[in-house]
Amino acid sequence: MLEVSGLSVDYVLDHGSVRAVDDVSFTLERGEFLGIVGESGCGKSTLLFAVAQLLAPPAVVADGSVKFEGTNLVGLTDGQLSAIRWRDMSVVMQSAMNALNPVKSIGAQFKDAMRAHGKPSKQEIAARSAEVLRMVGIDPVHLKSYPHQLSGGMRQRSMIAMAMLFTPDLVIMDEPTSALDVVAQRSLMVQIKELQLSYGFAVIFVTHDMSLISHFSDRLMVMYAGQVDELGATRAVFDNPLHPYTQGLLEAFPSIHGPRVPLKGIPGNPPDMARLPTGCRFHTRCPLAVERCSQVAPDLYQIDDALVRCLRRQDGSLSSPQQGSLSR
Amino acid sequence: MTELLRTEHLTRHFKIGGMLSRRMLHAVDDVNFTIGEREIVALAGESGSGKSTIARVLARIYKPTAGEIYFQGKPVSRIRSRPEALRYSSLVPMVFQDPFASMNPVLRVQHGVLRSLKLHRPELSGQQRTEEAARVFEAVGLGADMLERFPYELSGGQRQRVGFAQALAMRPKLILADEPVSMLDVSIRIGLLNLMAELRDKTGVSVLYITHDIASARYVADRLIVMYAGQIAETGPVDDVLANPRHPYTQLLLSAVPDPRAPMSTAGEADRGEPPKVIDPTPGCRFRYRCPLAIDTCAQVTPVLAELLPGHDAACHVAQSARGGAEQVKAFT
Amino acid sequence: MAMPVAGVPTETPAGQLPAGRTLARVGRAVRSSRKATVGTVLMVIFILIALFPGVIAHDSPTVDAYAPRLPVSTAHLLGTNAYGQDLFSQVVWGTRNVLIIAFAVGIAATGIAVLIGVAAAYLGGWWDNVLNVLTDVLLVIPLLPLLIIIAAYAHGASTGVMITAITVTSWSYTARQLRSQALTLRSRDFLEAARVRGERRLYVIVMEVIPTMTSLIVAAFLTNALYAVLLSSSLQFIGLGDPNTVSWGTTLYWAQNNAALQTGEPLWAIAPGACIAVLGAAFALLNYAFDEIGNPALRPVRKVRQKKGAQ
Repeated sequence: MLEVSGLSVDYVLDHGSVRAVDDVSFTLERGEFLGIVGESGCGKSTLLFAVAQLLAPPAVVADGSVKFEGTNLVGLTDGQLSAIRWRDMSVVMQSAMNALNPVKSIGAQFKDAMRAHGKPSKQEIAARSAEVLRMVGIDPVHLKSYPHQLSGGMRQRSMIAMAMLFTPDLVIMDEPTSALDVVAQRSLMVQIKELQLSYGFAVIFVTHDMSLISHFSDRLMVMYAGQVDELGATRAVFDNPLHPYTQGLLEAFPSIHGPRVPLKGIPGNPPDMARLPTGCRFHTRCPLAVERCSQVAPDLYQIDDALVRCLRRQDGSLSSPQQGSLSR
Repeated sequence: MTELLRTEHLTRHFKIGGMLSRRMLHAVDDVNFTIGEREIVALAGESGSGKSTIARVLARIYKPTAGEIYFQGKPVSRIRSRPEALRYSSLVPMVFQDPFASMNPVLRVQHGVLRSLKLHRPELSGQQRTEEAARVFEAVGLGADMLERFPYELSGGQRQRVGFAQALAMRPKLILADEPVSMLDVSIRIGLLNLMAELRDKTGVSVLYITHDIASARYVADRLIVMYAGQIAETGPVDDVLANPRHPYTQLLLSAVPDPRAPMSTAGEADRGEPPKVIDPTPGCRFRYRCPLAIDTCAQVTPVLAELLPGHDAACHVAQSARGGAEQVKAFT
Repeated sequence: MAMPVAGVPTETPAGQLPAGRTLARVGRAVRSSRKATVGTVLMVIFILIALFPGVIAHDSPTVDAYAPRLPVSTAHLLGTNAYGQDLFSQVVWGTRNVLIIAFAVGIAATGIAVLIGVAAAYLGGWWDNVLNVLTDVLLVIPLLPLLIIIAAYAHGASTGVMITAITVTSWSYTARQLRSQALTLRSRDFLEAARVRGERRLYVIVMEVIPTMTSLIVAAFLTNALYAVLLSSSLQFIGLGDPNTVSWGTTLYWAQNNAALQTGEPLWAIAPGACIAVLGAAFALLNYAFDEIGNPALRPVRKVRQKKGAQ
């Protein structure tokens, strides 16, 4: 349904351009839940915006294509895109307070969204607005409420309701739960998953919280420094992480159950995208790096059903399970 | 455990509404806890639980509406003179949450440390101050060459370390760390949590670690205080509280924390997770609206902390009445 | 990059460049922005003219040594006026007076505005109320009637009187701006951190708050200076200045008195008028340029060609 090929996004600045997303490719089937994880600066949000065709200058798609149901979205005009937007593909942003208009009631914003993509009658608008609110578990009386009158969790739910107005085939979400507390977060995730299973839409979910997404996504994509470092079935990635970065990330989450183990995290910092290391972008922080890692930049390599970008995996000098892996 | 800080009936209310309104927001109500020397106490709760307010009251940014804080046995409210106030703020400094907003962007990172030294250790000469600044930077894992840098040249994790260095420069007894790792990348957090533990071990400083992330609290803290709606719900040694949570709210929190190694718990799934804004509350347990075990007493009498297991207290009528608290009542499993 | 995510470093907030690297960055920025380059060049030219007028114009501006109403020639680059004074000299020598007023008012008005605006914001409460009332009262005092009274009292406002009067009536506008900016900073963590470590309030205002507002303070200075140029010239034009000083406004005054435009001596009016306009533009360009340097979001967006149908 969605095929991203070789997508690269550059930020064009005064003194040259910086590649924020480098040659990313993946496919998405109908009804599939894809989680994209990574830390700050890895390019996951930029990638998301590129897929949704929401990039603003100085960011541009430098290369690659985004084929949504056969049509390449890159290069379409706004007019052509608006036919797809919201009807077939909708976006849920990170913070409802950024995306919702604070001076309009929720109902008014739903009405705007519906009018922008069709010509529904007043009754149709009222009926559908109430229906989507009920879908996310909010009493339709809140159509009259303003965003600031709702709690954080309810605001996020109304964002999701708005995204569901036309029951799209694909919903793109950029960290919709990061501003919420843990109980509200769980509740919202469960709601999203339920909706997804009932209505069968595909989801691309970007987050920095790996443990949260582990329970909801079908496949997981790990990004680092603008590239895809690992892509595979969620359970497989957690039980048997192939890339040392994924492993490091997993080990950076202290556990509530089980014995208290001293953890190390990943030393160093993510690289400056304007001054990337030679060879593999992760090698300066990788505990398993060898000399070749600083010389050769690895490509994505297939191992069973997963893809990984690691020289040592590719040449077999790294075999799993790795010591310190979580499932032990 | 030598007592370092103790609060008694600590309360802080804020007036809300316009000039004529009499409504009060009960941010913190009747909070009693102690912090000993050489220990890390985690104060955990969701937003609106009052944990940040407590930090600010302890840092003397706010005055308590009622109740008292005893530091090293002496009441904090009696601090009047500037030397006494300076002494307290050097012994109980604060580390802030936002690494990008907690440093003045136009001044070098050593500025805060040098000023702290100038204000609180006036016996040092300029040369000694510079040496001491280098020393505390090394103690938090930053090179002395970073002293002359500007904040924008440092990463978030490094900036938070500078925050700890500023606190260390004053030779504190208790560091108030207000969500010091929440805004950092996951892989950087562990480094800072390890630093806190190292400071406790090497210099004997205590830390009040305020967080909403139970897992990190478990990783670094010795004792845990769980707050809900301005009151303490449960407190005790961290492993004990997490293994045998007595208060239904603690159980709910634990069930909601995602652990990749275990399937997601469905307990309390229906709970939307919206803690109340406590404005002019009536007596009774503030958690009763979300609690599946609520009984009549819960609506009438506000529960107080009572010891259910050695060192482990919970404020819940149902938990307290269940065979003297020894048997665990399960609200959310 | 795109939206601020928890943990993503956001850009250094607008205009808060640390002093140590400022000069180098400003130099680079001036060269890169067209507005900045033009504005700076113009300003430098005017300053040089004001500093060394004798080098450029060899005649005295006041002595009526020449034949009146001479046309443009190599001896008199702008001709002479009805009194036989060399117009070019008048314009060149007049620069000094205008720039003195501009910079004096700029510095004085901005200084007062910073003190009052920032103090009001940071001290809050009673202080804020009192200072706000003061600011607002002065905001509405009409300058012209005030100056007419002063001029009448002082028998023609000399440069010093004009500087004072303009300063007194113009600081309040930028004080309000600076107060708003300082208010947004008030709850920033680093200020709270300073208070928690025991700094006194005055120290925080001077050493922590004001340094982060440098770009706004520079903008306030440029605004006040520009305003002073226009206002002082206008006041001199309507005769409220000291008619014996050499200044563009007074030249205009005399031009008007002698109906220069009607009597075929347009340059008498146009020359000083053009100078006022160009100096004003220089200040304005510098103001825009500083905005852009401080806040990258305002920079002109380069149209980037997207690869159509890239495969």
